[in-house]
Amino acid sequence: MMISVDNLTYTYPEAEYPAIENISLDLREGELILLIGPTGSGKSTFLYCLNGLIPHIFTGDMRGEIRVNGFSPKETSVAGMAKTVGTVFQNPESQIFMLRVEDDVAFGCENLMMPMEEVIARRDAALRDMGLVDMRHANTQTLSGGMKQRLAISSIYAMGPKVFLFDEPTADLDTKGRSEFIEIISKLKRRGHTILLAEHRYEDLLPLADRVISFDRGQVMHGVKAGNPFDQEMKQKTCDTDTAYEVELKDVTFSYDRKGGRKVLEGINIAVKRGELVAVCGDNGSGKTTLLKIMVGILRPDTGRVRVSGFDNPAIEDVVGRVGFLFQNPDEQLFTDSVEGELMFGPRQLGKNIDVEQYLGKTNLVAMRKRHPQSLSRGQRQLLAVFSIMALEPQLFLLDEPTTGLDDESWHNLFGILRELSNNGKTVIFTTHHEKAKKYADRLITIDRGGVAGSEISR
Amino acid sequence: MIVILDSPLNLFLLFLAAFACFLAMGPPASYIKAALKIMAIAFLATMISQGFFYYFEPRTPLLVLLNKDSGPIGRFTGGITLYKEGLTYGMIQSMRLFSAALMSMVVVMSTYPSDLVLGLKKLGVPEKIGFMLTVSIRFLPALAEEAKRIMIAQRLRGLRLKGVRGNFKGFRYLIIPLIIDSLRQARRIALAAEVRGYTGKRTEIRGLKFTRLDGALLLAAIVILGAAIKYRFSL
Repeated sequence: MMISVDNLTYTYPEAEYPAIENISLDLREGELILLIGPTGSGKSTFLYCLNGLIPHIFTGDMRGEIRVNGFSPKETSVAGMAKTVGTVFQNPESQIFMLRVEDDVAFGCENLMMPMEEVIARRDAALRDMGLVDMRHANTQTLSGGMKQRLAISSIYAMGPKVFLFDEPTADLDTKGRSEFIEIISKLKRRGHTILLAEHRYEDLLPLADRVISFDRGQVMHGVKAGNPFDQEMKQKTCDTDTAYEVELKDVTFSYDRKGGRKVLEGINIAVKRGELVAVCGDNGSGKTTLLKIMVGILRPDTGRVRVSGFDNPAIEDVVGRVGFLFQNPDEQLFTDSVEGELMFGPRQLGKNIDVEQYLGKTNLVAMRKRHPQSLSRGQRQLLAVFSIMALEPQLFLLDEPTTGLDDESWHNLFGILRELSNNGKTVIFTTHHEKAKKYADRLITIDRGGVAGSEISR
Repeated sequence: MIVILDSPLNLFLLFLAAFACFLAMGPPASYIKAALKIMAIAFLATMISQGFFYYFEPRTPLLVLLNKDSGPIGRFTGGITLYKEGLTYGMIQSMRLFSAALMSMVVVMSTYPSDLVLGLKKLGVPEKIGFMLTVSIRFLPALAEEAKRIMIAQRLRGLRLKGVRGNFKGFRYLIIPLIIDSLRQARRIALAAEVRGYTGKRTEIRGLKFTRLDGALLLAAIVILGAAIKYRFSL
């Protein structure tokens, strides 16, 4: 048995009840085990018990026995466990320490105090096996999300662990990054590593998995979940032909480097009617976020005409109050000290009066109205950010990758809100690279390498 | 402290040399503009303040703003007068400062950050501090990008950031999410470092070697400094 867990129970410090309870499992070498379950169900907690972060970094109350490749994480330090267990987290950005790719790959081995020749040999082997040889001298800051994650994996791989733990590794990646990730996982499996993978979206991982373990409120259930209760149909609508246009782009081109750099957007002709719910799809780098920024006035097009909410070629200050924009990271948009303060912030700046109670009720945060926005959970912060913008009562709502880091329930909530907005005559446009998100929209606009590749009614 | 150059002309030449080195690094136009703006403001400010507050003798008044006999302020301060020697002194001080500042920028712009940190470690800076420096440098551009995004998000919520008042207000709303997000990021980075086996000690495959070129430059620097000191004291 590579991993044996016996009656594991763990409670975070100052928590009322355990995060995981009475878990007993035996996992064989070479298996790929999928851990599924909603946020807070204990998947990450379980992983952290295997690599020593629990109990050494996260104190709290840990009971039960664990053995990983013969080692006990309770008795061995985190650095000691790092020889056997490698962990890859969700956010690729925070797992890269060095400025050069090859330096980062060697970093783990250096920490394990391996002799210099061994570090160099392992580093070169990892670069080769993970397909990073061409980029070995590259600046880590220039890498794409998928590449960064690959770099993080390579660094762990070089350390030579038998077990790989992945905690939501593709949550921040686009379709391309995700398929690259699946390739790497397959490779690791072929080489006989034991892999534990905690993920929200797991359908395409099922063929690779030897076992699926489902977590629910700290307990474990075996077998595959019988489908997602949140996969419900959302009624779509088609607008009548004489509804006015809220957004029109004519022959828009844009490039970041005016002096003949690569054209990020070229020949864009888009028209969105009032009240439509549109998904703009495309991979990272296709230009879809740039498109949204042009619509709200953050960026100005090089050529072409932009007409938004009655304004021609608007600047941000023109459209404040009429156009709402939600960035990918909700934390960058919460600046006040209380939930109710956050909701009132926008309207107050514009001299509007709103019914705070109504919005508080919608966010389900009435009880937490005085709490600091940053003290809420990720899903709650996302909701708060969305409603803070809705409090401005915009006619047009733009969202950039709104599903990042959300679990199924939060997805459903969010799209429910957007649907309601659209039904009330507001126009909603969001960008996404998730296949699943597309079916929540009335229309799909696909952007590929800077040009509109399609504009079809969703399904 | 040994003062070698104190004639404005020599210092100006030194400043020009330092500025030439700075330009040779090929900084973007916005950098150059910003540097010139800051230096111009500092230059004028230093000249004027030194001009008014010059205390040594001899001093020749150029402009009397307030006679030392007129009114209580005059008697209290001894008069507010602009002195010629003060202006010169201000010029000298600014140019010394700028020459040093520009050269230190040249060092940073021409050296790979991790080599800089390695150099510091060779001088005795402990590993953990060196590591913190490396990671901070690596995350600096990302932090700047985030600050930009936060400010755009604020403008989209109606916050007016123009003007002095706007800037003050905006700062408070910028600093809080920035710090909190940085703290979150720091936590993630710490966890990632832990599972990467970081303990504070590690084998380092990247090292700095003291080459003959380094030795030659060091020798040349010592010789020039010695000659300058001798020249100064023989005057």
